[in-house]
Amino acid sequence: MKLQFFFKIFFFLFFSFSLCANENLDYKVKKLTLELRCMTCQNQSVYDSDSNYSKDIKIFVIKKFKEGLNEKEIKKILTERYGEYILFKPYFNSKNLFLWLFPFILVILSIIILLKNSKKTRTK
Amino acid sequence: MNRAILITPLIVLIAICLFFLIFILLGKNPNNPPSALLNKNLPDFSSINLYNNQETLLSDSLEGNYTLINFFASWCTPCRAEHHLFFEIQKEIPELFILGFSHKDDLGDSKKYLEEEGNPYSFVGIDSDGKIAFDFGVFGLPETFITNKNGEIIFKHTGPLTKKIIKDEIAILF
Repeated sequence: MKLQFFFKIFFFLFFSFSLCANENLDYKVKKLTLELRCMTCQNQSVYDSDSNYSKDIKIFVIKKFKEGLNEKEIKKILTERYGEYILFKPYFNSKNLFLWLFPFILVILSIIILLKNSKKTRTK
Repeated sequence: MNRAILITPLIVLIAICLFFLIFILLGKNPNNPPSALLNKNLPDFSSINLYNNQETLLSDSLEGNYTLINFFASWCTPCRAEHHLFFEIQKEIPELFILGFSHKDDLGDSKKYLEEEGNPYSFVGIDSDGKIAFDFGVFGLPETFITNKNGEIIFKHTGPLTKKIIKDEIAILF
């Protein structure tokens, strides 16, 4: 009786953990593939696409997560082959610095121009 | 006059934005993004000959020659469109080693395809699982690469080659 109870608890815990691990993997795969561009589609993420290319990338991502690689490492492998074009969100590095800072430069410039103009109109 | 002073910064701002937008987008085709492997060494691979499973080609053995690498499959219609051009390339640049990879294709179908269209390749390698293509960053067939004598990738094209591409982009490399 005790043994039966012990087995029940063991199986319950085992399946709960494996279910949690799978859900965790599914979540990680979804999160990453949503950030990856399907190179053969029109503005679709790898997650949303059913193309052969996207299927291959999804299989690759699952395999690499199972091997213990993290999101950053998988992204690195993919960008080494497909370039940063595969990422919807480009890396924040010196090459893309202008791309990231341009909206802020634009806002600051607009505020300066606005302030200058308002000052001029006030003095008049 | 007052209005002109107010509008001028706005026009300048729009002009700056347009300038940078044109600068960023100029010459960039979203259907043919630049290869991440351009000017880098070709990836390591080992591939079995389609016609002789005892013969294997290693990436290292390509160094010392200019090599054209073409990924094709019998199920790929655009591959048929460009196929005859490899005979022309072979004629024009005889020193070029032309390597074909049968990509995710049934081996029998690949052989049949090469019987029908002719075989311009110096070596036909098997890439049944697509691993070699993945390492080359291939995402759509056909794709063509050219490596120099140091084994660096100096040309990449996604999609079928045309006579114009051969004349304007490939012939000038030799």
